[in-house]
Amino acid sequence: MKRIGCLFLLLCFAAVPVAFAQDGMHMAGMGHEPELGTSAAFDAHGRLWLVTVRDGHVLLQHSDDFGKTLSRPVEVNQVAEKIYDEGENRPKIAFGPQGQIYVTWSHPLAGPWTGYVRFARSLDGGKHFSAPVTVHHDLARITHRFDALAVDGHGRVVVAWIDKRDEVRAEAAGKPYLGAAIYYSWSDDGGKTFAPDRKLMEHSCECCRIALAREPDGDVAAFFRGVFGDNIRDHAFAVLRTDGKAVHVERATFENWKIAACPHQGPGLAIGSNGVLHGVWYEASHGPAIWYGQLDPGHPPTHVLKIGGPGAGHADVAVRGRDVWVVWNQVDAKGYRLMLRGSHDGGDTFDAPRVIADSDVAVYSPQLLVHDGHAFVAWNTANGFRLVAAHSTPGKTP
Amino acid sequence: MTRRMLVLLLLCCTLPVFARTAPLESLAAADVPALVKPPAHGERIIALWALDCAYCEPNLAALVKLQRTHPRDVQLVLVATDGPAMRGAVAARLDHMHMTNYPARLYAEPNPERINYRIDPDWGGETPRTLVIRADGTRVGISGELTLAQLQRIEP
Repeated sequence: MKRIGCLFLLLCFAAVPVAFAQDGMHMAGMGHEPELGTSAAFDAHGRLWLVTVRDGHVLLQHSDDFGKTLSRPVEVNQVAEKIYDEGENRPKIAFGPQGQIYVTWSHPLAGPWTGYVRFARSLDGGKHFSAPVTVHHDLARITHRFDALAVDGHGRVVVAWIDKRDEVRAEAAGKPYLGAAIYYSWSDDGGKTFAPDRKLMEHSCECCRIALAREPDGDVAAFFRGVFGDNIRDHAFAVLRTDGKAVHVERATFENWKIAACPHQGPGLAIGSNGVLHGVWYEASHGPAIWYGQLDPGHPPTHVLKIGGPGAGHADVAVRGRDVWVVWNQVDAKGYRLMLRGSHDGGDTFDAPRVIADSDVAVYSPQLLVHDGHAFVAWNTANGFRLVAAHSTPGKTP
Repeated sequence: MTRRMLVLLLLCCTLPVFARTAPLESLAAADVPALVKPPAHGERIIALWALDCAYCEPNLAALVKLQRTHPRDVQLVLVATDGPAMRGAVAARLDHMHMTNYPARLYAEPNPERINYRIDPDWGGETPRTLVIRADGTRVGISGELTLAQLQRIEP
């Protein structure tokens, strides 16, 4: 018995440091270190709104002084739930024609890569929110995430997401399936109910954001990374039809980047009042590169311009009249610079790249916002949210 | 209860705390030069992966197999590009993949771009990414799930 006692003591002592290491790991993994995933938007009255995530809640704040001070946060979801807010997953915000505030996010489930796309709305200017609903009718505990949100010209709430129901079905039948799929739905009653899920395209990339923008006729269009042929991860463009007509998806970029990988970088899209489709996207067929181009779905884009190479990432694009803005993060060993290129001729030519802000600490993807004809960049950093005017220079308050 | 049964019971009770033999260490930007320093001999394979990436699991499994074939000449380091808030999920995934015997790192910043750039400026962050650093200082960086030909190319 003495020998057993010794063995027990030995095992206990040997286990102690490992047990402490495990505890430390779990403590640090409680989610108290916030991610940076954020979305911002100006409403029709010029008020800036911001959604972030903390401790299982999407938080809504607003600012009437261009981001210098933010209101006390309102919890969009009263009951805490897990929320994707890292990488290209972030909560989204959009406004209805009567000032409704719509918010979506992706809620992870137990298994890897699983999720539900959630929606809540406020009809009283952001004071209170409806209980969250799941947008998609398919409730299998599989991938439905990377939500994208827009409101069309008729006030319909349009939501698109990455969905693996077809991949799961193919796998069950023992058939190969490349990537995931893009599905979407819409609401004709201001977000009270959503139409049955509609497939946009089979074989999409699994973890790149979907870019949505409104066409001049009010329809919402999507630009996203697809999987073409044998793992070619170029981009596709499609209008998200809500009139019962067939969707028509066309390939819109043609770098032939063939790779079995997650690029973690989705594209950006802005549509001019003249219908020109301004796109920005990442690919690495010949080394990392960010491109600008005017999309001509079914054909290679025109006015293609290489925006950045190594260290450039997560670009966004905006347009107003003849003005086009492209922003991106440029990283080097020291930190981050927020870069801008502007065009005054509808994207035919661009000014030289300019640094408009910098940061020594981690930053999130920049998001271009246009207010009253002027461009601003929502830039969340580990030191706090910043709204950077496109005419800014680093170190100065915009 | 026999002595043998008691010993077995004690061993069973302590096994879970032995599950992770290599700690999951943070990787800050300042730690990168040591990580990418050429090894004294053979090669170091830095297997960059992410929670979101379904291609990463089979890629890690292939690299583990390669390391086991060349235990003296290949150091394998598993580096998750997810940020510090994902520590619990990364540790759980490593356990689930039975990959707790290899040195494992986790990015110390919530945005991976700066650490990505310091590890390899010619990499835009897509995962999996395999970076091979040889004792002679040469490097090979490959994005995507490795093909058989690519696995042969990085063998010591």
